Amino acid sequence: MEKKSLWKKITGSREASLVIVLIVLCIAVTIKSPNFMSAQNILEILKNNAVIMIMALGMLCVLLIGGIDISITSTLAFAGMTIGMMYKYNKIESTFLGFLIATAMGAVCGLLIGVIIAYGKVMPIIATMGFMYIYRGFAYLVAQDQWAGADALGSFKDFTLSNSLSFGLINNTITVTVICYIIFFIVLKWTKFGRSIYAVGSNAEAAEISGINVAAIKTAVYTIMGTLAGLCGALATSVYASAQPNMQTSKEMDVIAACVIGGVSMNGGRGSVLGALLGALVLSVISKALPLVGINAIAQNTIKGVIIVAVIVLNVLTQRMMDKANLENREM
Amino acid sequence: MAGKSGRTISATPDKSLKKALLSWEGMLLLLFIAINILCKCISPVYNLTNVLREMPKYLTEIFLLFPMAYILLMGEIDISVGSTVCLAATMACLSSNAGVPFIGVILIGLLTGTVCGMINGFLATRFRELPTMIITLGTQIVFRGIAEIALGDGGSISLTNADGFRAIAGKVGPVPYMFFIVIICAVIFTVIAEKRVFGRNLYAIGSNSRTAFYSGIKVNQMLFISYTVLGLLAGVSALFLTSATYGANTTTGKGFEMDAIAMAVFGGISTAGGKGKLIGGIISAFTITCLRVGLGQINMNPQVILIILGALLICAVLLPNISQSISDKKKKASRA
Amino acid sequence: MSEYVLELKGITKIFPGVKALNNVQFQLKPGEVHALMGENGAGKSTFIKVITGVHKAEEGEMYLFGKKVDFKGPRDAQQAGIAAVYQHPTSYPDLTVTENIFMNHEIKKRGIIQWKQMHEEAQGYLDELDADFKSTAEMGALSVAQQQMVEIAKAISTHAKIIILDEPTAALTANESQKLYKIVDKLRDSGVSIIFISHRFEDMYRLATRVTVFRDSQYIGTYDVNGITNADLIKAMVGREINDLFPKPEVKPGAEMLRIENFSRTGYYKNVNLHVRAGEIIGLTGLVGAGRTEVVESVCGITRQNEGKVFLEGKEVAIKNPTDAMKNGIILLPEDRQKTGLILSWGLGRNVTLPIVKKLSTNGFTNDKKERELSKKFLEDVDTKAVTIFDPASSLSGGNQQKVVVAKALAQDNMKVIIMDEPTKGVDVGAKAEIYAIMGELAQKGFAIIMISSEMPEILGMSDRIYVMCNGRVTGELSREEASQETILEFAMEKGGKKKKEEVVK
Repeated sequence: MEKKSLWKKITGSREASLVIVLIVLCIAVTIKSPNFMSAQNILEILKNNAVIMIMALGMLCVLLIGGIDISITSTLAFAGMTIGMMYKYNKIESTFLGFLIATAMGAVCGLLIGVIIAYGKVMPIIATMGFMYIYRGFAYLVAQDQWAGADALGSFKDFTLSNSLSFGLINNTITVTVICYIIFFIVLKWTKFGRSIYAVGSNAEAAEISGINVAAIKTAVYTIMGTLAGLCGALATSVYASAQPNMQTSKEMDVIAACVIGGVSMNGGRGSVLGALLGALVLSVISKALPLVGINAIAQNTIKGVIIVAVIVLNVLTQRMMDKANLENREM
Repeated sequence: MAGKSGRTISATPDKSLKKALLSWEGMLLLLFIAINILCKCISPVYNLTNVLREMPKYLTEIFLLFPMAYILLMGEIDISVGSTVCLAATMACLSSNAGVPFIGVILIGLLTGTVCGMINGFLATRFRELPTMIITLGTQIVFRGIAEIALGDGGSISLTNADGFRAIAGKVGPVPYMFFIVIICAVIFTVIAEKRVFGRNLYAIGSNSRTAFYSGIKVNQMLFISYTVLGLLAGVSALFLTSATYGANTTTGKGFEMDAIAMAVFGGISTAGGKGKLIGGIISAFTITCLRVGLGQINMNPQVILIILGALLICAVLLPNISQSISDKKKKASRA
Repeated sequence: MSEYVLELKGITKIFPGVKALNNVQFQLKPGEVHALMGENGAGKSTFIKVITGVHKAEEGEMYLFGKKVDFKGPRDAQQAGIAAVYQHPTSYPDLTVTENIFMNHEIKKRGIIQWKQMHEEAQGYLDELDADFKSTAEMGALSVAQQQMVEIAKAISTHAKIIILDEPTAALTANESQKLYKIVDKLRDSGVSIIFISHRFEDMYRLATRVTVFRDSQYIGTYDVNGITNADLIKAMVGREINDLFPKPEVKPGAEMLRIENFSRTGYYKNVNLHVRAGEIIGLTGLVGAGRTEVVESVCGITRQNEGKVFLEGKEVAIKNPTDAMKNGIILLPEDRQKTGLILSWGLGRNVTLPIVKKLSTNGFTNDKKERELSKKFLEDVDTKAVTIFDPASSLSGGNQQKVVVAKALAQDNMKVIIMDEPTKGVDVGAKAEIYAIMGELAQKGFAIIMISSEMPEILGMSDRIYVMCNGRVTGELSREEASQETILEFAMEKGGKKKKEEVVK
């Protein structure tokens, strides 16, 4: 709209400052380890964190409506384990069918959560805590003390090794991630449904009065989250060439952390696809970079946690400083 | 100032037995009895002695319930407490193996927990703009991360001299010491919540923290105290846990925070704050424990038990909501 | 075509436990401005929500342009050309002005939202209303008056034939109200019919041609504004006559109770000096945002001043938090009783004793019996309309909630200074008179009272002395005799106000 506000936009926006953080981070690591910025390494990072990055999109929507979902990795394990066992016992062969089944399972799991939250008026943290137990339990039940290894998965694991989706350009995992991001970017910015998600999170009561079906939007958002978790169940099974009932345990915190670092508000209404992407990238780069700069692998979690705390605290402090500066400028 | 209309306002409290039984806590008590009857029916070895013997496995989480209930009552949350247990257990084991006398080991365990709690309390009160969910999400990763560093590459530690820990795992007859301490804590925390000024203020903060602050309640001080106490009891929990496992590893205490929150919520304490009673949380904690023991005795898959617990948790919140909306509809229909 | 654009007959709306509307009727003529008045809880807001399809009436019929309509939801009403601007702007603070205007009727091409076109159109509506902000601004960053303008722009954008304004001037300054009047005139001239709810008689006389009064969920009557007097209208609204709205007793002021010197807080207020004596009622006025509330909140320890001292009975006191203020007997009745004055889900009794639980306790154990007795006494003293002390505060009307807040202050037996921030905001006429009577009695008992108010009649009617604030500074001090509407306004707009005046002239 206005060109002169561009500079202000960069300094004032969360996304822009994250880009700077990301660049500084990359440069710092590259100095220590010149191979870091190689195309292969970058692709490796993207591939290994695709699951977190995709689920961050769903979590973005959930946080936008002022909710939270901590059941996602249980859904992921349930879906991933189910198709894993199907391949193991040769119930299905086709890779596509595996993805379809896992995604559909995720959608149903998410739908159930959404209905209980939106129509049963159960607090999201409680409902998803319950389903975290339930779906994880289902994953173990499906597994029956077994697991699906590389040999059991057959051609399914080849999906994430090949570049078929982009006609040989880039790894399939990354293609899927990019497609998800493009879809979410368009839906959240340019469609009525996307804007309704923002409206519900910003002021649910007003949304109801504007004629938006708040309960339906909420249900849809949790269903989307579940769908992505299901998709990631298939993806994770393929990427790691194994399906285990405890797969990705407590990674939901990484997903939430990615969103929080990306500037998504826990109170709803605020956050963007770009922010979620950058948050997830920052986390990915950090966990990849730590060993490269000589930090022991066992210290990684500590550093990750400290960074999360530091980012949110810094966020508050800069906000306070900005408020103070505004007050001082007020004419009296 | 004489009342101009001469209107009087009744101040007689309604204390009927029927109301008490129909309350959530009354229902829970019935459920507790029902679960015990059920367990007795399905398991031939389900009796008091066996329950008490198997309880310690589950009791350690109940310590966390009490202060967690306080924090939930104030409308806040702490999801880092499982990591605090892990770190405290790790520190206790490390110091024990380093030859620190057992009293010192206890102090180190308790102190570690308390410091973790104070860090949470500090962050929660200094940065009130931030949801405590986010703060403790961060510290959850940090505390367990520090434990991971302390545990080193193996990721676990075993006690070389477990004499001290064996002592606190002792029993009076069939009843473990821990059981008495849980009961003592239950009484103290319940009395404070129900009868003391501190408890009243907890509910005030949870119902409307702004009004509470305007009315002269030291909101930050109470938050800080509650987080610190939760840390302290996480230390207690860690010590008893170690006395059962003779060691610690990177997954020690994982999921404890969720279990503590689940017990509280199942007991009728709202995560939105201001609603529910500690006694409900305690009954629900023992109900869940008995259920776990009973189902464990018939060798039920522990994962199925988890599914049952998850479903119970959701039903505990869903059912009152549904009955509420039905009674609202009925009221409306009868009026019209 | 019928004579009325909108007609409602025999509307009854039932909520669990209450009949919110009982067989009410209403007619709106084309191109008229119709005021809807009544005390709080009379059913006006519910009625509006029935018209806009938010609530569905159990009984009754509604005719729009002579045709019977049956709205299933707010969407239907919007499409039929009815738009409402609610009391609390129903906005999305995190979104842009454009989105707030176009929410749920976005401009789309094949399902894709056309941002550029929407921003341009939104800017067009804003320009039409003489708005001083851009359509790309974030809603949350705007003032209440600006947000209201967005709501009106939203109503225009839906090409509404009927616009409903629910207490549009409640949060506006005098200047902003004038601007709103002009907008309403403009809308009316363009053929829109307008219903508006207001507590201010000023609004009604200035804008409306007819007025309909509701009382206790029932229809009382519809009158021509030209033919009705203030007194008749009050009688219709309250159901009885109120002779003396401001029972200000003559009290000879005693010794100085509270004095603040050189009070400053960056960005909020600067160099504020004021004092109040025993038995004196001080009016603290000025435009909303002049820093009045911020000053007294610092006096009461809610926020901290950067500079300045507080003296109580001549001695300097250090107040770091609300507890310190209460210990010293300085009691605040906050402006927003629902968010900072009361715990709505709690019973009245516990609300009253909230600040004194500790004082009544023995060794830290609460004394429930003593609490019940005390709260009963004080709630009866202020004549609260309630059945038991266990009734939740949320069940009371605004006026009675305010009485509970007063009882809560009175229960603090060491009270010396009582600071009332907008004590009658959102309080209906009947309860207003009672609250003024209580203030009078408190002054007679020798308490020092500071009353913050934006309502001119109340400031003029109740104060012994008046301080006027503007842009964070005290710009004038007036005695009861000197004070008049004109003098106060002059001080209230001393600085920033002048600028605004010029703008208006332009």
